[in-house]
Amino acid sequence: MGTIRVRFITVALVVSFFAVGMAAFLNYFKYKSTIGGIVKSRVLVVGRGIENSVQASLALGMQFTELSALPSQMEREAASDPLIQGIDVFDSTGQIIYSTDAASVGRSVDRAWTDAAAASKSTEWTGEAPGEYVAGISLKNNFDLTVGYLALRYSRDYVDRAAQAAARQIVIAALGAFVGIALVAPLALIVVIRRFERDLQVLETAASHLEDRGQPVPLPGSAFDPIIDHLRASLRDANSALDDLRAKLDRAG
Amino acid sequence: MAARALALLVLIGTLLAGGPEASAQLERRPLRIYAITFRGMTDVERGFQDYFAARRIPVQITWRDLNRDASRMPGFLEEIRRTRPDLVYTWGTSVTLGVVGTYDGFDPKTQITDIPVVFTLVAAPVLAKIVPDLKSSRRNVTGVYHVAPTEAQIRAMASYRPFKRIGILYTPTEQNSVVVVKEVKEVARRLGFSVLDMPFRLNAAGQVTADGAPEMIHEMKERKVDWLYLPPDSFLGTQAEKIIIPAALAEGLPTFASTEQLMEAGALTGLISHYYAIGQFTAYKAEQILVNKVPPARIPIETLTRFTLQVRMDMAERLRMPPPLPMFNYAELIMPKQGVASAQ
Amino acid sequence: MLEKNYLWRVYWQLAGVIMVCVVIALAVVSYFSHRVFDRELVPETEKKAATEGASLRALVLKATGYGIPFDGLYGVNRTFEEVFSENPEFSYAAITNTEGTLLYHYGKEPQGALVHFHSPALLAAMRDSTVPWQVALVDTQYVVSLPIIDGAKPLGVLHIGIESVFVDHVLLEVLLDVLVVLVVSLFFTLELLNFMAGARLASGLGEFGRQVERMRVGDFTAQARVRANDEIGRLLRRIDAAIDHLNVRYEFLAGELQDKLRAADAQRREALKPAVAALESIGKRFKFGTAPKESQTDEMNLNRIRAPLFTFILAEELTRSFLPTYVNQLLVTVPGISPQVVIGLPIMLFMLIVALGQPYLGSWSERVGRRKAMLVGAGLAAVGFLATALAYNLYDLLVWRSLCALGYAMVFVAAQGYVLDRTGSANRAQGFALFIGAIMVATVCGPSIGGILADNIGFRASFGVSAVMSFLSILAIMRLPAVEIRPHNTRASRTPRLREVLALVTNRRFMTLTGLAAMPAKIILTGVCFYLVPLYIVSLGNTSAMAGRMLMVYAVMMVLIVPLAARLSDASLRRDRYVAVGLIVSGLSGLLLLLSDSILVLFGVVFLLGVGQALSIAAQSALVAEHCQEEIRVFGSDAVYGVYRLLERLGNALGPLLASLFVVLWGYQGAFVALSGFVLFCGVAFTLATRSEEWQAQPAHP
Repeated sequence: MGTIRVRFITVALVVSFFAVGMAAFLNYFKYKSTIGGIVKSRVLVVGRGIENSVQASLALGMQFTELSALPSQMEREAASDPLIQGIDVFDSTGQIIYSTDAASVGRSVDRAWTDAAAASKSTEWTGEAPGEYVAGISLKNNFDLTVGYLALRYSRDYVDRAAQAAARQIVIAALGAFVGIALVAPLALIVVIRRFERDLQVLETAASHLEDRGQPVPLPGSAFDPIIDHLRASLRDANSALDDLRAKLDRAG
Repeated sequence: MAARALALLVLIGTLLAGGPEASAQLERRPLRIYAITFRGMTDVERGFQDYFAARRIPVQITWRDLNRDASRMPGFLEEIRRTRPDLVYTWGTSVTLGVVGTYDGFDPKTQITDIPVVFTLVAAPVLAKIVPDLKSSRRNVTGVYHVAPTEAQIRAMASYRPFKRIGILYTPTEQNSVVVVKEVKEVARRLGFSVLDMPFRLNAAGQVTADGAPEMIHEMKERKVDWLYLPPDSFLGTQAEKIIIPAALAEGLPTFASTEQLMEAGALTGLISHYYAIGQFTAYKAEQILVNKVPPARIPIETLTRFTLQVRMDMAERLRMPPPLPMFNYAELIMPKQGVASAQ
Repeated sequence: MLEKNYLWRVYWQLAGVIMVCVVIALAVVSYFSHRVFDRELVPETEKKAATEGASLRALVLKATGYGIPFDGLYGVNRTFEEVFSENPEFSYAAITNTEGTLLYHYGKEPQGALVHFHSPALLAAMRDSTVPWQVALVDTQYVVSLPIIDGAKPLGVLHIGIESVFVDHVLLEVLLDVLVVLVVSLFFTLELLNFMAGARLASGLGEFGRQVERMRVGDFTAQARVRANDEIGRLLRRIDAAIDHLNVRYEFLAGELQDKLRAADAQRREALKPAVAALESIGKRFKFGTAPKESQTDEMNLNRIRAPLFTFILAEELTRSFLPTYVNQLLVTVPGISPQVVIGLPIMLFMLIVALGQPYLGSWSERVGRRKAMLVGAGLAAVGFLATALAYNLYDLLVWRSLCALGYAMVFVAAQGYVLDRTGSANRAQGFALFIGAIMVATVCGPSIGGILADNIGFRASFGVSAVMSFLSILAIMRLPAVEIRPHNTRASRTPRLREVLALVTNRRFMTLTGLAAMPAKIILTGVCFYLVPLYIVSLGNTSAMAGRMLMVYAVMMVLIVPLAARLSDASLRRDRYVAVGLIVSGLSGLLLLLSDSILVLFGVVFLLGVGQALSIAAQSALVAEHCQEEIRVFGSDAVYGVYRLLERLGNALGPLLASLFVVLWGYQGAFVALSGFVLFCGVAFTLATRSEEWQAQPAHP
């Protein structure tokens, strides 16, 4: 097998690996973001309910820190979906004011949460906690001042497990496709490569017979015919000139 | 009280500048505010005070009530000059005009120019000539108005029940109402509905009277009006509960209120601002001046960005017009017997 | 030229076969992914529908709690409509009473829905408050049903339908990216074919072609060359052998004649006359002997620059589609400067460093050696990318981007020098075509892949990928020949002196070319492609991948049109026309946004911009040589081109600045229009200036 053949096939394999790899990558991330989005929007449905009642209470002049009905509502909502692991409401300093986890009231949330909430252009934001994803809503008062934040913590494991299962299947499909291509591509390429190799072969054969005297070997027809003709013509020219010299020398004795 | 203030320490986080400074600038001396109300303490004052408490900004407020008696004003002005507070708070158009006058005709000798003034609950500050436009007073004054933008009200009305034509009853001698009617007509042109506006009659003495109002409402119904819009009109306010709203109810015509007062008079629904929230917003403006040291002329005159949509459920039932389902999520549903039910 | 075209034909055939295989493989992957999506996403969506349903049900119960009759609810459709707008996978919603009679419904009703709603089993289950929800496939929709029970009294049933083909829509979004992958794969294939096989083949076949050409004109001098051990090497050795034989024969004959002449008397000399004449004519017609060791035009080594250059440029190009958005994320308020301008700062600084650094780095890389200069540059850039990925805020980001800029300038200049060192005047154009080719392919592949990466793995990780690419380029650079070639005939390039700069920037002819054509072209390029497009697209709620696709359109236009325009403008010799038309087309591009602000129009903008730039770019620098001969005579070609390049690159730095100022003044759309308007103005001014007689007269006296 010629070195050129090996090189061309290597190119095919590298490119296929890239393309299949990228496609698998894209499909996986699309899957991950879609399922993440579905799960998050499910959690946010619950959040919107809480947001509505907080806003209604604020509009009635109740203090953000005195929403006595809120903890029980949060408990109820958190219990309604096993995916939700906890709900916190915290202020702009990050201090938790209400939580389904009574022990964490008064503690501070991860600074990244308040930063993410502050940086978000809409009222929604996202964050992370150990083992948990966080879907957040900024709670705003009547003149658009953010009074606090609602954080719904849900199971990271749930999302990750789903993503991993999909990843495994996509990787298997991609590997299969790649193996398939690795088998098919060389065969398909050989058709093109063989024509190319034959052309080179013809050229080489022709070159190896360049110095043959007499009738030139008939050409089998290749892309290089004109070039070979040129080659032969030039060599013939030179040789005949030298022949002429030889003859003249001989004639001179 | 101190415990309550502590519990409220964390009321309002703000994305706007000033959040961090507020706590940093805990001054030893409390900020002195001189407040003049028009008819005693309302929810506006409660919201105003609560805001400072929640922000842990120590304030000392001197409360004075005009009690609808303009003759008390010179005494207050004299007291302000004498005690030199850090800020003056004025409630309503009359009080505000008494303290700062109009932008083109104030009297620097008697009225206040060198102490920042924050007004609240002025329905139409430009119309009242307190400020030339809402971007800036161009003097030592800023404040908060409380009426929702006309277009927002019209849209709220349409989201309750779509309409083709609305009727308006108004007082032709009240400049404020005339302007609102003009605005509604402009919105109508843009959104594609028609307006049937009818002014109250004037009696022989040239005074406005409610005589013939029920007939006008009947005529509106005849002429296929879908809603009766109640503008922020003082005279209308006094007649709404006894005459106007019952007449509309008799005709099966839903009513839309532009103020909390009209809502209380029995309108079906309305887009209003709660006095408490107005008070908080006023305090926010005061904070900008006192704590963040922004000159009042650089603080725009604004109203709330989110208003409260109220619905009288008893009226809805009598008119057989239940609020649309999505409204149960955000509207304040009022049952007169049980009081107010929030949208929980 | 035959062998070159032949080789490209082979490449395209190979690429075609590879593409077919890739398309099949992509189809297989997509098919299986679809199955995975179907299997996993549908149950999740059902759960989501159940949660949405529970919230709707709560709303209904609240309304009935206020005494509104269950069958007298108002605005139920609007509620459904709102839910649908946020959940595009829902396609139908309905409420029935406990008998299954339809009370409210919205969306596309699946066939057989009514039968399903009346099914006794379902109705029985829906009276049971312990049943959370049920799901059934009705026609093409999965219908999730929830009981509506007020306390103990069943009121009815809420149904939400999920279109089973919604997964198709999700995957359709991936399809665009997969198409991008396909295009990028094609370019990768060609680039790799060139790198792995082509470099040798091309130089081998090129050598072969030149050999044939030499022989055709009678040059049979033997080339003292080491031939590669492959098909072409063997072929060349055969020819070498034939030439050697000829030479031996010639030497022998010539020697014999000499001997005979030496030993000959007058008569024999006469007899030898024809032979002498023949030898003379041979001497005239042919050339024998050993070729003088000509300058090292080592194409093999020349081609080897392509891979490291491509890899390195790719690292930078990857960041194009998302850098401004990343900067936006790290933004800190700089007092007195609008945030829009601040976002442009890193790009401006980058371009400025490249512009100002290049003249100095040129001579520096000559001193330390091209390979070493490239290694240092790629190393700096790798560190820069890594640090950019970890940047804390705008301020340190500026430092890291400066490192990248410095590295970029070093590698760029050194690679340019590498090509210069290894090309003579004969093949310099070819050398630069190779240089530009590598960069262009990187500009096609980089932004699009970068956008995809940024969307999926985040901005920081994508900068990490750039760092890895720079690191890979270091490995590729290490494989370059360590021996530096220092051509003696060229002077060390020098930086233009201030006096020359001043003289040139006040020179009308020079500035017509530079100020009206070269700089505006660069300003609109960096302003639109590097600044406006990424930010505007993201501000419209689109992804960085979309921005990448846009930039790919631009790059593909360049790749397709530049060679064409170069050939045409070379042939027609009216280069200024190409520049003028190109500028005007670029200038018209942004005006399209006056029509509409849709994404398609934006594609049109980028397309036109690509066409315009491609038309003018090839002709621009040639125009300097053509029209500024007077100036070149006075200041020297180095100085004129040095100043020209400097100003052109300052245009690069000005682009984001102008664009950001326009954004501050008129918003994104306004900025597109203003920037284009500016270039259009320059284009028209250039056209008018080059039509004047004074201008036409210039090329006449060389």
